[in-house]
Amino acid sequence: MSNTKYADAVGAVRAMENTLLTKNDIDQLINSRSKAEITSIISSRSGSSGNDTLSDVWNMLREYAPECKELEILLYKNDFHNLKAVLKAIISNRDPKQYYIEPSNVELSTLVDAINSKEYTELPDYLQNTAAEAYELITQTLDGQLSDSLIDTSALKAIQKSADDLGNSFMQNYAELLIVCADIKTAYRCCLLGKSAQFMENALCGSREIDKEQLIKAALSGTDSLFSFLEGTSYSNAAALLKESAAKYEKWCDDAVMELAESARMQAFGSEPLAAYFIAKEAEIKNLRILTVCKEFGADKETMMERMRKLYV
Amino acid sequence: MTNGLVLAIIGAALAALLAGIGSAKGVSLVGEAASGVVSVDPSKFSKVLVLELLPGTQGLYGLIAAMFILLRTGVLGGSAAELTVQQGLGFLAASLPIAVVGLISGIMQGRTAAAGVSITAKKPDHNGKAIIMAAMVETYAILALLISVLMILNIAV
Repeated sequence: MSNTKYADAVGAVRAMENTLLTKNDIDQLINSRSKAEITSIISSRSGSSGNDTLSDVWNMLREYAPECKELEILLYKNDFHNLKAVLKAIISNRDPKQYYIEPSNVELSTLVDAINSKEYTELPDYLQNTAAEAYELITQTLDGQLSDSLIDTSALKAIQKSADDLGNSFMQNYAELLIVCADIKTAYRCCLLGKSAQFMENALCGSREIDKEQLIKAALSGTDSLFSFLEGTSYSNAAALLKESAAKYEKWCDDAVMELAESARMQAFGSEPLAAYFIAKEAEIKNLRILTVCKEFGADKETMMERMRKLYV
Repeated sequence: MTNGLVLAIIGAALAALLAGIGSAKGVSLVGEAASGVVSVDPSKFSKVLVLELLPGTQGLYGLIAAMFILLRTGVLGGSAAELTVQQGLGFLAASLPIAVVGLISGIMQGRTAAAGVSITAKKPDHNGKAIIMAAMVETYAILALLISVLMILNIAV
C-alpha cells in the first residue's frame, strides 16, 4: 500500500479543480465590461464571489492533509518575506501587520516575539539562522538591501534543503526552478548595477542546472556575455524574454512553475496533486489581480492576454 | 479431530482471512478517496460508491472458498470427516489461490479504483471508464476463485 498517501485530500482536490477558471473563463473576463459581469463569471464557475483568498485554500488543504510537510515548503517564500517585513518594521518602529502576508507557516506574533527577544529557537529550524544573521546585518549596517538579499537567498536555500531532506522529486524540481529563475534575474540585475563578484556570490543561490561561478563570471563581463552564456543553457528562451522585458520573464517563470504543477495532474495519490492545486490557485488569484489592475488602468485586451499566466486546467 | 481436518480448517481460515484483508485495505483506500470527493461534491456519492464496492468482492470470494471447504469436510454439517494429512494438505493448497490472489488483487484493485475516483471527480460522465479499469483487476480474483473451487470440489474425501 505504499505511495497511497493523501487519497482523500487528492479526491477532494480533484473535485475542486472543476471550479478553477478555464481559458474560456479568462477570455470572458478579459472581454467583460463591468465588475458585476466579472463577479458573475467567477461565481458561475466557482460558486463563490471569487473572494476566496489563498489563505482559505491553504486552510482547506491543511484540513485534509495536516501532516503534509511538502506543502509547508510552498509557504517558505511567504515566511521569509514576513521576516523581512518584521525586521524592517522593528527597525523603523512601524506596525509589521500591514506588511505581513498570509498564508504563512509562522504567525506574526511568533516572528515579532522571536526577533524582539532574540530567542530565535521559537522559529522553525529553516528560519532561525537567517533571522539571527539578518537582524545583526540590518542593525549593524542599516542596509535593507543587504539583509533582503541575504533573506531571499536563504529562502531559496531553505526550500532546496527541505525538498532534498524529504526526497520528494516534485518539490526538488520546484526548488530548482525557483532557484534558477531567481539566480538569472539576480545576475542580470547585478550586471546592470555593476555589482561586485563578492555581492553576487552572496546574492546567488546556485543550482544544479546553471553553474554559479560561470554565471557570476558571465554577469561580471556585461549583459551580452551573460545572455550568450544563458543561450547555452536550457534556459535560453527565458533569457531571450528577460532581454525583452522583466514582465515577460516573470510570466515565463510563473508558467514554468505551472508546467511543473501540470505533471502532477496524472497522479492519483501523494502530496504532488495538493501542491499543484495550491500553485494553480495561486496563479488564478494572480491572474485575477492582474486583470483587475489592467481593467482599472484601461489596458487593451492584447496586453491583458499577454500578461495572463498559464492555467492549470 | 484429525491432523488432516486441522489443515483443511487452516485452509478455510486463510481463504477468508487473506482475501478479507485484501478487500478491507482496498475498500478503505477507495473510501478515503471517495470521502474527499463527496466532502466537496456530495452529488457524486452514488458514482464513487460503485468504485468503492469493487475491491470488496475478494472478501466474498474468500468467504465462498472457505464455505466450500467447510461443507466438503463436513464441519458445517456437524459431522466432520476423518481427513488424512494428505487430504488436509490438499484443502490447504486449494485455498491458496484465492487467499493470495484475493489479498493482492484486493489491494491493487483498491488503488485502481481510488485513482478512478479522480476521473469521477473531474469528469463524471466518464465514470464508466473508471469502473471498467478497476474491474479488469477483478478478472484475476475470479480466476483464482475458480481454481480454488475446482480443487476443493475434486479432492476425494
